[in-house]
Amino acid sequence: MKRRSLVVAAAGAMAALPLLPPDLQAFTRAIRARMGSGLRTLDPHQHATVTTVADLIIPATDTPPASAGNVAGFIDVVLSDWYADDDRAAFLSGLADLDAQAHTAFGKDFVDGPPAQQTALLQGLDDETSRWNASPRKARGPEPFFHRMKWLTVYGYYSSEPGLVKDQRFVMIPGHYVPCAPADSSATGDF
Amino acid sequence: MKTYDAIVIGSGMTGGWAAKELTEHGLETLVLEAGPMITPADYVEHVPPWEKPFRGLGDRKKQLERQPIQKECYACDEWSGKFFVDDIDNPYTQEEGKPFLWLRGRHVAGRSIMWGRQVYRWSDLDFEANLRDGIAVDWPIRYADIAPWYDHVEDFIGISGEKLGLSQLPDGKFLKPMDLNCGEVMMRDVIARHWGGERVLTIGRCAVLTENHNGRAACHYCGYCERGCITLSYFNSINATLPAAQQTGKMTLRPDSVVHSLIYDKKRSRISGVRVIDCVTQHALEFQGKVVFLCASALESARILLNSATPEFANGLANSSGEVGHNVMDHIMGGGASGRIDAPADRNTVGRRPNGIYVPRFRNLTGGPKSKFLRGYGFQGGAGRDGWWRGTDLPGFGAGWKKQIEAPGDWHMGFGGFGECLPRHENHLEIDHTKTDKWGIPVIKISVAYSDNERELMEDSSIAAAEMLAAAGARDISVGTDFSPPGKAIHEMGTARMGRDPKTSVLNAHNQSWDIPNLFITDGACMTSSACQNPSITYMALTARAANYAVDAMKRNEL
Repeated sequence: MKRRSLVVAAAGAMAALPLLPPDLQAFTRAIRARMGSGLRTLDPHQHATVTTVADLIIPATDTPPASAGNVAGFIDVVLSDWYADDDRAAFLSGLADLDAQAHTAFGKDFVDGPPAQQTALLQGLDDETSRWNASPRKARGPEPFFHRMKWLTVYGYYSSEPGLVKDQRFVMIPGHYVPCAPADSSATGDF
Repeated sequence: MKTYDAIVIGSGMTGGWAAKELTEHGLETLVLEAGPMITPADYVEHVPPWEKPFRGLGDRKKQLERQPIQKECYACDEWSGKFFVDDIDNPYTQEEGKPFLWLRGRHVAGRSIMWGRQVYRWSDLDFEANLRDGIAVDWPIRYADIAPWYDHVEDFIGISGEKLGLSQLPDGKFLKPMDLNCGEVMMRDVIARHWGGERVLTIGRCAVLTENHNGRAACHYCGYCERGCITLSYFNSINATLPAAQQTGKMTLRPDSVVHSLIYDKKRSRISGVRVIDCVTQHALEFQGKVVFLCASALESARILLNSATPEFANGLANSSGEVGHNVMDHIMGGGASGRIDAPADRNTVGRRPNGIYVPRFRNLTGGPKSKFLRGYGFQGGAGRDGWWRGTDLPGFGAGWKKQIEAPGDWHMGFGGFGECLPRHENHLEIDHTKTDKWGIPVIKISVAYSDNERELMEDSSIAAAEMLAAAGARDISVGTDFSPPGKAIHEMGTARMGRDPKTSVLNAHNQSWDIPNLFITDGACMTSSACQNPSITYMALTARAANYAVDAMKRNEL
């Protein structure tokens, strides 16, 4: 809620723009950019990072990538209106940590890294997530950032029109039921 | 003031049937519905997830705030949440340590909009059960009394299913059955080989049309019945019974009419009318009727009776027996098992079949071996292949991983037990005078818990399901041990039971109050035992039967 009231207060302050000190002007520009994009929690850099990671998880192949399904926009909605405060904080700090790891690995923010190094970094995070998944529920530590990110990417993509219809061949009104069709037939998609 | 020939309280599964039968016999009928009007224009079954704000995840924070109980129902999702009540406006209280889920909708057609559509006749194994076991009271009817009414209801609503010739699960008048998929066919054959007729797997018998029927279209397999159906392919009261009643020109349907209580005329020993709160204007109103059908759902109907106490009926109207609000039953769930099966990897389903499999009760049948528990359970479930959702936990990412998810995953088979619940006097509800709902009407306090018998039969269901999966060579078998709290199956019933003796039951063999002859209660309240079958078809058949009895009794001036 704090974050939201900050956005509202800053937006109200825009009328008095010329009087603001330069650093606050930069902040207001960022707010304005965020509002223009419809984003409510992610800032442009975070949005770019989420988009990049999501497209590394689900890249363009013969079917569309995660970004075609606006996965980052969906994640912004989840962060703004669905997650509890601590889940949102965990996700955003995970994003910041991803940049910290990128700086250690290749000296740049994650989005600015070469794809091979980005992939290598995510591979490490995915391995960590797999170990977490395999560990007994009671003995688990906190949910790794990449587990959240992957969950949101998968859900966001396959609930989008490009993911569900183009990749999964989902048909809203199949019109019939075929109990034992060839597995590669059309209209097998489920949601 | 106009006096209606009949007032029906509730417009759902049973209210719709009462309205249809009474109006078709020429009675001027007022149907009172507590919630708002809905029409097929409110249906949302073809809205894809990408058009929903949370893409199907639901508005979690709003649900926590307004529907913390209703959200426990699988159907109370981002689409159908609007068909469930607001828990803050419609509160109830629970006895400490005895959780009860009261899951319901308040709108025209009630829960017939979101119901599970499974339809199974009872047999004399069920109607004779209390007498045989010396439990509670004997049903005042037998299968022969209700069978023609099952026919009557099935003819009208359309039931698809397979005839099996089993004595414990009588066949009905079925439309062609839906198909089992390859995983289910494999399971059916394994079960037939190992249990030779003792256990049988069949396609679910369901109120979804497989052929055009009575002006309603065959199913188009979109799979989201609980969100409504623009082709009217599954049965609910606004798709079928209420339009039939409307067509007679004899029905007045009044939505937004919360029934506060019934008005008792002590000179005539009859109900003279109904007190209503109009939830739009907040005005208190009264309506007069010659006969009243209480079809408000089991707990709500009991609440209305208890809130209608008079000096003559200090413990609640029509409650000289003291049984109103008692003997609450549901079906226990959570037993069963699931596992990975070796069905053909090159096969999958096309279309989303809104129906599963059924394994009819096989424990404690007449002449068969006796279990350590009384009664039994049936299985519902089905087979299917894993889909895209496995990607959330599948190691890897990128193009190769995506290709893996694009194809269907493993075949799984699941059996979920639905167990009979015994009627026990102590499982009851009462009026909680410390709390009222949004309309100022005192709420109910529910005190219901399962006993060892229900838990034992659910445990047995888990073992039996695992046996069947093991016989099919299933791997990764997981067994259900987390049994549902009462109310979760949304089959609550028993709060104004039928019986043979006015001292121990509320209703006679025609769902007529022993105490007040022009009062009929035909929703789940009337049930004397619960069997293990989904109950709606039995409620509907009893309603149609009672309505026809009431019409004849009115002609004889008996009411």
